[in-house]
Amino acid sequence: MTTESASRPTTRTYLVVWVAMLAIVAVEIAVTYAHPSPGRQLAALLSLAVIEAAIALAYFMHLRYERAVLFWSLIPGVVFALLMLDQIWPDALRLITMHHGP
Amino acid sequence: MSQAALTLEPSPFGIQSKKLAMWLFIMADAATFGAILFGYGYLRVGTPDWSRPFALTPTIVNAAIMTFVLLSSSVTMLLAVAAAQAGRTASGVRWLGVTALLGTLFAGLHLREWFAMFHEGWSVSHNPLNGPVQFGATFFGITGLHLLHVITGVVAILVIAAGFRRGRFTAAHVETTGLYWHFVDLVWMFVFPMVYLMNAR
Repeated sequence: MTTESASRPTTRTYLVVWVAMLAIVAVEIAVTYAHPSPGRQLAALLSLAVIEAAIALAYFMHLRYERAVLFWSLIPGVVFALLMLDQIWPDALRLITMHHGP
Repeated sequence: MSQAALTLEPSPFGIQSKKLAMWLFIMADAATFGAILFGYGYLRVGTPDWSRPFALTPTIVNAAIMTFVLLSSSVTMLLAVAAAQAGRTASGVRWLGVTALLGTLFAGLHLREWFAMFHEGWSVSHNPLNGPVQFGATFFGITGLHLLHVITGVVAILVIAAGFRRGRFTAAHVETTGLYWHFVDLVWMFVFPMVYLMNAR
């Protein structure tokens, strides 16, 4: 990210990013078939998806090459909205406890 | 009206208004997909006998191929934008065509999978494994909303490609459409692990 618009990446950069993202997808599949516990699987897959999304935002959507003010005007608001949605998890865990017992 | 009133203030973001409008739409759409994925997560966590019906073949392999196709279409869209910005109209139109083709292939693979599931008895209100019916509702709801975005994107790309070829649209239109297409790709980066891999047997 820059304070002013910078020059755009090259085709080589795009191809490197494409290969890196395909590698992340391969890791996601490998993690799944290592059969971890559901909690560990969720944490691993979600972390990898966030890394992939950050790369897509930075390089595919060129956010890295736009003015910093664009990033700060857009991303924190969405992240805050998504964090606010996390209030549903205690109730979901209450439901599963009701089914299984304490 | 005075000359001073006619002078436009430069954008603090350094981008055209159409691109800023697309960014604002993408942020709103990200919140929509976030909400629907959180809703799915709530049901997934709160339901003890949640179905995990997806075998490696054909479902996970098919979804991995779809991921490859969509990621590749993002690269071809980037090449279309680069060509358009360099003034290479024919090349830009060609890459837009390849992107639309890959988007159509993704939609075709998706619909083939859907119809195979319908054939097995899956629907938004029926689970052939006698598990919770919410599985079908969330699966078809999330993937259906994403598929709608893909189909809309393919139509938009074709319209922009036709207009760009005739000189009616500019490289900025191609770039703005590209932003939307990359967002469709970005959403799939969450749908694939959360909806497919988390439900793999």
